[in-house]
Amino acid sequence: MHQLITNLKLFWQGAALSYVALFSWLRPTTFLASMIIFPLGQILFFTLLGIFATGRDSASFYLIGNAMQITASAGIFGVTMAIGGERWAGTLMYLFGAPANRLTIFAGRATIHIFNGVVQVLMGLAWGLVLGWVSFAHTDPLALGITILIATFSTAALGLLLGCLGLVTLNIMFINNLVYFLLLLFSGANLPITALPQWMQYISWSLPLTRGIAAARFIVDGASLAEVAPLLVGEFFIGVGYLVAGYVLFRIFEIEAKRRGTLEAF
Amino acid sequence: MFLKYLYAIFAAFKMNFLSLVVDGFFIFATLLMPLIYALIAFGILRDKGAHYGIFVAVGSGLAGLWTTLLFGSGNAITGERWSGTLELIAATPTPMWMIVFGKSLGVILQSLLSMVASYLLGWLVFGYPLGIAQPLEFFLVLFIGLLSFIAFGLMLAPLFLLNPQVQQFQNALEYPVYILCGFLFPIALLPFWTTPLSYILSPYWTARLLQAAAGGTLAWEQLVNESIYILALGGVYILIASVLFRIVLKKARVDATLGLQ
Repeated sequence: MHQLITNLKLFWQGAALSYVALFSWLRPTTFLASMIIFPLGQILFFTLLGIFATGRDSASFYLIGNAMQITASAGIFGVTMAIGGERWAGTLMYLFGAPANRLTIFAGRATIHIFNGVVQVLMGLAWGLVLGWVSFAHTDPLALGITILIATFSTAALGLLLGCLGLVTLNIMFINNLVYFLLLLFSGANLPITALPQWMQYISWSLPLTRGIAAARFIVDGASLAEVAPLLVGEFFIGVGYLVAGYVLFRIFEIEAKRRGTLEAF
Repeated sequence: MFLKYLYAIFAAFKMNFLSLVVDGFFIFATLLMPLIYALIAFGILRDKGAHYGIFVAVGSGLAGLWTTLLFGSGNAITGERWSGTLELIAATPTPMWMIVFGKSLGVILQSLLSMVASYLLGWLVFGYPLGIAQPLEFFLVLFIGLLSFIAFGLMLAPLFLLNPQVQQFQNALEYPVYILCGFLFPIALLPFWTTPLSYILSPYWTARLLQAAAGGTLAWEQLVNESIYILALGGVYILIASVLFRIVLKKARVDATLGLQ
């Protein structure tokens, strides 16, 4: 019981402190820019492009796709920096030197970013409502909320995996930018998956968000939670897969870095 | 005076260019990001017909050019502060704006790759006919547009240095400019009140002329009038930049607060 309470405390402290550190360091204006203005810009850009291409009736397709994809902003950039940033801040050796449970350290880093991602998606959808590009008249809010949460979890799990790469590479900004933009292409946010070549579709279905975006579109159109359950179960297990892969890598990199004395090596 | 400092400009250009071509983020911004935008835009606009190929290639290339300029020129002085060399540059006899000018040339040269990459993607991968209907006018506009891009960069560099709060919005400035400058769709889709904002951005006029030249609809009168306007906007940016550079140097030499974040 004592061990459980200690781990929970570690989990919470790691989650809260890494989040506060990230945005205190970057200042509140960065928070405003990255959490509100950047997502709004992306949503406007792709939805307007879609309207230009196929007319106003298609606006909801692009709006929902990009509002959902925005969760990758917190899930990829936020989580990656929460893990990989330990190296830049010079705190990696303290982290790996501590006897704390590794899983609580690792998973704790993503927790608040999941909440952040959910808020970003909700704001994106709210922008769509304000601009008259989407209607929620037939939407089950609970089903949509669960979809957003699961999609955000699976994206943050990918962020944890990328964060681990940040422990061993200097080019983490290259990697997380590339993955973020590839999600724009492969996740179905802007192009229907069926319109992609077959080999691209295989990649799409192995990524987080793809099923979440599809489910969100169905739910906004009036589908029930039961109808999109297969998509959500798939999305959840994709997230679990990335989480496990990330944790395994985290442990391997820790052991290797300790063995070779390269914890702080750049 | 310009010739006197040519060597310093060239040295700044060379150093910055060589730094950027091996920088992962800039490789991403100049080559991969425009390709991803182009792939998405080609996909979304596929029903518009093959003649939109050149429109997408030019627009995606300009998007990459803007992103590279935003980060490359925007960080031209801030980067020196991070590496502790800003005071040394402020103390050299070469005017600081010339060093930033040289660095911006490096940024622009690399960012031209984004236009070439987008163009090749549309041509080789999608098989779109990407012939430029008025090549002479196209390259003339490109040259004039790049001059104004450099002037824009000269303004961004001291602005970001003097106002860290503004630089916090660096990431967020990408999409608004793509939208306001009509890189991939006409600004007629936007509310009327945003039009003046588009008009004061030289990349908007550059995109307009490049797309017209590529599509073969550029009239001589439009070319002359709008090129003059682009150059005039460039002049205004330089004027603003000169005031900002004066403030930067005052902070360096009088207040001694330049290196402070």
